[in-house]
Amino acid sequence: MRRFGTVKALVALVVVALAAAACTGTTATPSGGGGTTSGGTPVDTNFTMSFTGEIMVGWDPSDSYSNDVTAMQNMYETLTRYNSETQQVEPLLATSWTSNDAGTEWTFDIRSGVTFHTGRAMTAEDVKASIERTMDINGGAAYIWSPVKSIDAPDDTTVVFTLKYSAPLDLIASADYAAYIFDTQAAGGADLAKWFADGAEAGTGAYTLDSWDQGAEVELRLKAFPEYWGGWDATHYQNVIYRVVPEATTAAQLLRSGQVSWVERLNPQLWGTFQNDPTTTTTSTASWQTLLAMLNTTDGPLADARVRQAVMAGIDYDGMMQALQGGAQKLSGVIPPGLWGHVDDLYPTYDPEKAKSLLQEVGYGPGGQAMDLELTFVQGDSDEQLVATLIKSNLADLNINVQSRGMQWTAQWSKAKSANVAERQDIFLFYWWPDYADPYSWFINLFHTEDPPFFNLSYYSNADVDTRMEQAEQMAASDRAQATQMFQDLQQTLYTDAPSISVYTQTYQRAMLKSVGGYVDNPAYPNCVFVYDLTPGVA
Amino acid sequence: MTLYVLRRLAQAVLVVAGVVILTFVVARVVPGDPAASWAGPKASQEELDAIRARLGLDAPVPEQIVSYFAGVVKGDWGVAVHTHRPVMEDLLDRAPASIELVVVAMIFALLFGIPCGLLSARWNRRLPDSVVRFGAVFAVSMPSFWLALILQLVFFQKLRWFPVAGQYDPNLDYTHPLVQYTQMPIVDALITGNWWVFRSALWHVVLPAVVVAAYPFGVITRMVRASVLDTLGEDHVRMVRALGFSERSVFAKWTLKPALNPVIAVLALVFAYSLANSFLVESIFNWPGLGAYAAASVAALDTPAIVGVTLFIAIVYVIGNLVVDIAQTALDPRIKLS
Repeated sequence: MRRFGTVKALVALVVVALAAAACTGTTATPSGGGGTTSGGTPVDTNFTMSFTGEIMVGWDPSDSYSNDVTAMQNMYETLTRYNSETQQVEPLLATSWTSNDAGTEWTFDIRSGVTFHTGRAMTAEDVKASIERTMDINGGAAYIWSPVKSIDAPDDTTVVFTLKYSAPLDLIASADYAAYIFDTQAAGGADLAKWFADGAEAGTGAYTLDSWDQGAEVELRLKAFPEYWGGWDATHYQNVIYRVVPEATTAAQLLRSGQVSWVERLNPQLWGTFQNDPTTTTTSTASWQTLLAMLNTTDGPLADARVRQAVMAGIDYDGMMQALQGGAQKLSGVIPPGLWGHVDDLYPTYDPEKAKSLLQEVGYGPGGQAMDLELTFVQGDSDEQLVATLIKSNLADLNINVQSRGMQWTAQWSKAKSANVAERQDIFLFYWWPDYADPYSWFINLFHTEDPPFFNLSYYSNADVDTRMEQAEQMAASDRAQATQMFQDLQQTLYTDAPSISVYTQTYQRAMLKSVGGYVDNPAYPNCVFVYDLTPGVA
Repeated sequence: MTLYVLRRLAQAVLVVAGVVILTFVVARVVPGDPAASWAGPKASQEELDAIRARLGLDAPVPEQIVSYFAGVVKGDWGVAVHTHRPVMEDLLDRAPASIELVVVAMIFALLFGIPCGLLSARWNRRLPDSVVRFGAVFAVSMPSFWLALILQLVFFQKLRWFPVAGQYDPNLDYTHPLVQYTQMPIVDALITGNWWVFRSALWHVVLPAVVVAAYPFGVITRMVRASVLDTLGEDHVRMVRALGFSERSVFAKWTLKPALNPVIAVLALVFAYSLANSFLVESIFNWPGLGAYAAASVAALDTPAIVGVTLFIAIVYVIGNLVVDIAQTALDPRIKLS
């Protein structure tokens, strides 16, 4: 009988504990984010974000180059910030700037009255030290500073950059990675890299580190920095909470019950369910994550420009967008909307008749010789998978047999870079996005002559295009309107030469509580929410 | 006894080594470049070369395995490619959450599985037996992610009885901060007397634990039933019955104890199985355990992390079995270790 007695006691204990838990449960249910309280903390003061992956992969502002950007941009600031709505660079830690006509010498006026989270006042000397450290470490996106020859700080509020060649330094200084200004003396005499790696920060941003619990569900908490130069007179969120929620359905449930304020990513179907929900708002913004199909311009049937144009005209883009259910939108040119240099009315268009006649010119097409093409894409990306399938079925109508292969990114990339030309694919599907708000990123990386290839995976080489893009980038430093025109003309040339097909640009589909005011998606800073700029409201 | 344990440990080392070699080779044979995963999508060639040298990826695979073992012996399980941290640290951070979940699930499974098995055996081939047997088959065959989603829908969205995800209400960190010792909120809250977090944590663990418990519950129920029926046919039970003892005491006194032995044997296997099975459940309930870590490791082709997780599970399996074998001798004098 003793055994039964013990079991009974255990059952009773668990039942009592669960009952007690269930009782608290009802009181602890967080409410919809409207001025109610939960356990004494006004819900309104906390802005909780739901992300699909781990946030803080790196802590070093010099070489952080991952998901951490979303938190870094709230703890750290850059000299300038790009506004994708106005397509202009705006002041942040720099109040104004000028450059010489050649764009090789830039002078930034540094904001005074800025305090680091370490308590030290920021001066021009700190700006110089930060960027120099980033350049020395030379990891992550540090290459953006490669035009810089030297940095001087003649007084406390002036920083002068001397460049090796002309470059738009105001744009570079607004980069989402590698452009943070931080207290290089934060660790005292100790090793600063180690100090950061242990989970510390030394920025000037509106929010400072509260707690970090790696691997935990609530991974990171930031709190308002009382001495922030922007001040706290207006209504702002006081705490920023980062939750890791890998499952979209779970994230949706958390948003619905008001336990998170903002969700990074839902699938289009789930996102759609929030559009008519009275407690939430949704936004849909074109991102700068462009999906390109790089066509092999040197080997195989696509080496002929007419075949490339035929392939471009043989894809049903509208049907594709429908299948993607709002997760993406058609892309005109290669530069996405919101970035200067974007060109209107240069969408690839579906014209099967044109495709057929182009193919017939070279002996292919329906009734002609069958064509075999190999297409590679990143395995596990369901959007790319869908695109590959649609391209395959569209081109089958043109007597083109596409063999599509889903691969790990690294394997796909190695194959594309293979020294053996016959190894390489015909169509390479991949995403490109810039590291700062400059259309040059697409041109220099994807379309500039490159041997051996690194990211120019259409193996495109056109001396005229090379020269024109270099001139345009030089012009960007002194005359942005002229540079815009030049980049737009270049896209026209690329459209005709067809080394790549602009398949689409991803859409950021966000859902958030109705009480979140002033939310704007800035594609220059992917998945970053500038929490200080938001207005907490009463639902 | 000591000799037996030593021999079993030696066998265990061989098993674990085999598992590691297999995982290592499979992870390395898959095309892909861990250095590119480490450096991010836009790394330069120089960066890639430097990282490859630093991670020892330029050495041939057998050499990498040897140096990996040399490290494992010294407690160095390599550095994870996707977190840039030592694998051992990553595992120690995440394993407690998984273990907490599985332990709670095992308690659920035992608390409900043993009585259900007894019930089933007591009324063999009658209505209670059919109901329990159906329940057990249902619990074992139910896909865990499906069960998880259904429970969320019913008990969170419709009834609001239990929370949808997480370990405890994150707002409590502002009002009643939890001091962490074991990384298991239920345990930490209990030892620090933080009743707010304790209640919230218990409330949060119920749904995921029920899902994880489904499979062990089914196995234990069937095992108890079969084992009790077996014992009921033995001579000593027939004698006890002939002497006129009540059915109740026949079951409680003379049948259950010998019948529990095979149940305990299966427990270790079910525990380790549940640990791996909980991966999917963890991601649905946002439970910060090994599951999400394993998934991210596979996606990043992170060999050290994949091998680390595998090694961890293999060790749990092996130790679990050993502990059960030893425990059985303590419970049943008829079993001898040899």
